[in-house]
Amino acid sequence: MLSLTRRLFLAGTAISLAGLPKIALAEAPKRGGVLRMSVDQAASVIHPMLARVNPEYLVTELLYSNLTRLKPDMTVEPDLAMSWEPNATLTEWTFKLRPGVTFHDGSPLTADDVVATINAILDPRTASPGRTNVGPIKEVAAVDPLTVKFTLTGAYADLPVALTYLNARIVPAKVIAGDLASLSTTANGTGPFKLASYEPDRRIVVERNPAYYDPARPYLDRIELLVYPDRTAEASAMISGEIDLLLTTTPGDYERLAKAGGVKALRTPSGQFLNINLGCDQKPFNDLRVRQALALVVDREATVGFVAGGYGTPGNDTPLSSAYHFYKNIPLKKPDIAKAKQLLADAGYPNGLDLTLVASDRPSTRTQLGVAVREMAAAAGFRINVQTMPHATYLDQVWKKGNFYVGFYNMQPTADAVFKLLYTSDAAWNETHWNNADFDAVINAARVETDEAKRTALYAKAQDMMNTEVPSVISAFFDLLAAQRSYVEGYALHPRGSVFRLDMVSLGAGAPKRA
Amino acid sequence: MSLAWFARRLMLMFYTVIVVSMLVFAITQILPADAAQSLLGENATPEVLAALRAKLGLGDPAWLQYARWARHVFTGDFGISMRTSLPVGPEMLAALSRSLLLAVSAILVTLAVAVPLGVVAALRQGRLTDTGVSLIAYLGVSLPEFVTATLLALLLADTWHWLPATGYVSPLEDFGDGIRHLALPVLTVSLILVAHVMRMMRSETLDVLKSDYVRAARLKGLPERTVLFRHTLRNALLPVVTIIALDVGYLLGGIIVIEEIFAIPGIGRALMVAITTRDLPSIQAGALIMAATYAVTNTLADMAYAFLDPRIRYD
Repeated sequence: MLSLTRRLFLAGTAISLAGLPKIALAEAPKRGGVLRMSVDQAASVIHPMLARVNPEYLVTELLYSNLTRLKPDMTVEPDLAMSWEPNATLTEWTFKLRPGVTFHDGSPLTADDVVATINAILDPRTASPGRTNVGPIKEVAAVDPLTVKFTLTGAYADLPVALTYLNARIVPAKVIAGDLASLSTTANGTGPFKLASYEPDRRIVVERNPAYYDPARPYLDRIELLVYPDRTAEASAMISGEIDLLLTTTPGDYERLAKAGGVKALRTPSGQFLNINLGCDQKPFNDLRVRQALALVVDREATVGFVAGGYGTPGNDTPLSSAYHFYKNIPLKKPDIAKAKQLLADAGYPNGLDLTLVASDRPSTRTQLGVAVREMAAAAGFRINVQTMPHATYLDQVWKKGNFYVGFYNMQPTADAVFKLLYTSDAAWNETHWNNADFDAVINAARVETDEAKRTALYAKAQDMMNTEVPSVISAFFDLLAAQRSYVEGYALHPRGSVFRLDMVSLGAGAPKRA
Repeated sequence: MSLAWFARRLMLMFYTVIVVSMLVFAITQILPADAAQSLLGENATPEVLAALRAKLGLGDPAWLQYARWARHVFTGDFGISMRTSLPVGPEMLAALSRSLLLAVSAILVTLAVAVPLGVVAALRQGRLTDTGVSLIAYLGVSLPEFVTATLLALLLADTWHWLPATGYVSPLEDFGDGIRHLALPVLTVSLILVAHVMRMMRSETLDVLKSDYVRAARLKGLPERTVLFRHTLRNALLPVVTIIALDVGYLLGGIIVIEEIFAIPGIGRALMVAITTRDLPSIQAGALIMAATYAVTNTLADMAYAFLDPRIRYD
């Protein structure tokens, strides 16, 4: 407990100390200017509680604030909350709000707004994906205008991290009491920018919020967000100088961008992965030996080349990559066809197995992985037929229902979040139907443990269990790839892939003048 | 008599649109996958899904959903997009206007270039000019849009930096920039259309030049200019009108490739996004608006034809 709060306190001090001299020194980022950036799909939803893809998370991050924020090392820092403190059993958390914060319409932020927001997210009628992700919250109450108390259904060490969740942006209580749906077309947040115009499929413009709580930021006057559904067109626009920043790109375009003059290509390891889900409650994958055999045919280093164009890291059948805080470096599984054959024979399939692997067409790397696995597995006696289908059909007919298909997931903020999302017996999306009481116990112990060393040991054990039991084959993690013009300053890729911090971005020498 | 012909033509157009609306609605009903699931994606929990399904009225019988929809469409209300929560009608019409701007610009450029070239080629049949022009036409027809588009973008944008490679700026917001952004897509589309129209123009002109009435006109001793403009061109242009009307249809349907490559938020792209996200109101509105536009351009073409050649009206 002590170590936790002390670390947070130190983090807070470090930020305020780091902030001050920056303004005093000549190195201060230049204020003003217009940043033109692109996204690869429309931000169709600007309702913060309903956003669900990266461009939407970007827009809502510009317009709103959370109580806490996720740093690039996946620990938290203050946003609207200045400090927080749990009780001894980790079942109650008290958050102190930053004083003097106002919404875009000028009304002050109070504890009531936080209470109303959290309650609206938890209300099933809101249909917010954040409902299961903001933590095991039983009740949230205002203690005084600047203090909020969360009462949990059980002990939970990660609540401050859970509140960084992308749908947990704070909105005014009066909007929630009035017309919550109005947030689909308008915005009233406490974020660094205000909404200026909104055309979902074409262009979204935001302007500086002069009343933002940090007087130094944001540095930019305006951000124009343009939609480029074709990645190649997007890369061309970056090379010709039409846009200053693009959020994500493919390995092929990344290489083209890296060679272009005036463009800086950006890359960071992430926890985004493809998994081959094995239905652990049905034949043939209810037999551990079949799952292990399949895991042994996959050449993980080669998969990184196939599906990530070399821009990734190999996976070891656990959802934690090196970008996660509690990652355990287990020696990488090497292909062993003889052993895989033996395991299959032991499981009662001496003549091999016929299987159909389903891959949706979005992203196309799902099919690439499917075909790669088909080829690699053939030598051991797996005869795999890869079936591709439109993503909407896949979501309807296969996802969470099938027993052999390719999944795709973004990095989650914590180890607990990804295990609880996909692999515990009570996971919201327990696709593999892997019901392992020992594993559940380890995860439940880790989420209430505050001792860092003990927690690390528990998550290490969880990773070992998944590595051995293989509910899904996870053979590759993707790096995040992006690009910017060289005059863009202060932008850094966040491993989570859905945190952007454009309030830190400014334009340096050589930036084009735009009205 | 001719008034009745026009009225009949208009009624036919109206029926077509109604039948299309039923077809569109039926197809959206049998699309695999559930709109609520597609909208919420892999983030949906069962309660969240059920809440959204109820909100969207997805449980109602199909005929009731169609009746409700048709009644609203009749009053110009296409509903609210499930994806963006914005009214669908204005969004789709704005997208259509961008596509039409592209299509009409391309057709104007095409006519300005293809008609004279076709006539010249016909007049110099078999000579070097004719061969050269025909060769370019064959190239234009043979190369798929995405190849010409990529080549043009590579040359004019990436290498020479004359034009912006992609993106759309409304000429109403910034005329100069709007035109610059329109240039590459218009050029790409025109290259294909020029080839179409020019070949048609060339063969029609040749036919007309060989016809009895042109021979008669020449025998009457009319100057060659009068023969060409009054007798030949007017008749040779007739089939071109049909080709143009068909091309508008092609442009609205096939322009999706161009819109994707050049990042133009037009009707093709809007419909594609609507289909992949199972945004039913947008699919229905988009398909209906496209069908209506197609029906209108074809009717207009028929009417123009009837105007140019009065014999048709009495068929």
